[in-house]
This record gives sequence, C-alpha cells and structure tokens, in this order.
Amino acid sequence: MIKLGPASVRMRAMSDDDIFSSRLKLLIIMAKAYLSDCPLGNYRKKAIIENANHVFYHSLHLVSVSSTLKDKGFEPQTEIVSKKKTSEEHLLHQRVQLLAVMAKALAEDRLRGHFRKKALTDNLNKICETLIFKFQIRDVNFLKVA
Amino acid sequence: MNPVNIPNVKIAVIDDDLTVRDFVVTVLMYCVNRDVLSFDSGSAAWRYIEDYESPDIIISEIDVPGLNGFELMAKFKEKSPGKKCLLMSDNPANEQPARHSGADAFLAKPVSVNDLFRVVQTFVVRD
Repeated sequence: MIKLGPASVRMRAMSDDDIFSSRLKLLIIMAKAYLSDCPLGNYRKKAIIENANHVFYHSLHLVSVSSTLKDKGFEPQTEIVSKKKTSEEHLLHQRVQLLAVMAKALAEDRLRGHFRKKALTDNLNKICETLIFKFQIRDVNFLKVA
Repeated sequence: MNPVNIPNVKIAVIDDDLTVRDFVVTVLMYCVNRDVLSFDSGSAAWRYIEDYESPDIIISEIDVPGLNGFELMAKFKEKSPGKKCLLMSDNPANEQPARHSGADAFLAKPVSVNDLFRVVQTFVVRD
C-alpha cells in the first residue's frame, strides 16, 4: 500500500480554504497546460469550466466577506495587515477572477489570438509571483495525452 | 509495481462531503479526460457496482454513511479482485487498518492536487 498526503500529525479535515487554494492551483495548472499545447478533450473542458466557476465564486465571496466586515467597522489591525497588503490581496483576487474568466474562455474555444494568450501568460505569471507557485508541465506528462 | 495503463479508465469517488468530493472529481476528470462517477455513501456506490460494471478504481472516504470505506472495499475486492481501491481519511488511526485490510493506497487528508496527480500516474498511466 502506498501512502499519499501529509504525515499523520498534519492530517485534518479539509476546510473551505484548503479547497479554494487547491482549486486555484489546479486552475493555474490547467491554464499552463493549455499554453503548453496539451490537448483538450470534452471532459477536460468540462472540468476546467467547473473549476473556473468554483474559483471565481469563492474568490468573489472572499472579497465580499472582507468588504462586509469593513462596512461593519471590522477594520483589520494595522500591525497585522497593512493597507498595502490589503490592496495586494484585493488585486490578487481580481487577477484570480480574471484567470477564471480566461480559463472558461479557453475551454469554450474563445481564447484565441496572440494577445489573448499573452494576457493569460502575464496574468498567470503575476499570480504565480504573488503565490510563489512553481510548476512544470513536464512533471505531469500524462496531460500531453487526451 | 506492475505496469499499469488503463484505457478508458472508469473511476468512482465516494465522499459525503460535497466540496471535497467535487474537488477530487474535477481533478481526476481533468487528468483522465473521462467522466468520473461520484457517490455520497458507500451503499449508493455498492448499489451501482452491483447493478452495473465495476469501476477500475474506487477512491472512498472511510467514514461515509451506509457501508463505510472498509466494508465497501471488502465487497468491491470480492467482486472484482484485480481492481484498485484507494481509501481516504483525515484520521491517522485509519492508516494501519487500511494497510491491513488490503487497500492499494491511503490518501491522507487534506488531499492536494499533486496527490491526485500521483494517483493517476501510479494507477492509470504508469508504464
């Protein structure tokens, strides 16, 4: 029997945040695979659209919860979260939502043309810089077959 | 490990937590480019397995309603001895029982995208 996942001491139930960050990581991989010309079959397209919808609405929810808290006077403490960091987080969420829209477009064959692909690449790079996310398509060769 | 390469692989995911189940299904559907079956209880999965063709791989949370993961695996392995059963849990105490009961893999929660890629690499496309 093989064991996958964290060591015993780090095992726990999956939270909404775990699901969001894992789905965001998957969305980044999906977009990178597309830019690396990995083939898209019908079920892959369906998976991309489902994942993009989850990420988009969860990100929207996180932004709205944050602004609702602010409206009710729950400002983050400056020593914990600086205004700069809050603004970076807001920008990251906008980029994540844009990525979700772009991913849906690519799954629906609407992301064509050099500049749209360049915009996708730039957006991915900015998100990965912020999250310090490293991934190589060669790590998952099976994506080259649909 | 024996070479594995399952064309048109049929995978079933069993978990009563909808958000986890949907996440696992999305990753696997993307990886294998095939539909992935999903059930919210061991008994619903077993009814399907009895009535229709057995999946090639089942990935079941251990603590699910109806038949739990161990009970489902025992019935599944009896019906389809060559097929693979992977058990998931957030409880470390389940790891040794999973090993002793013949599970092919134990997926400790929280499950990551990389863990699910490794499942595909190991049980679907390894050759």
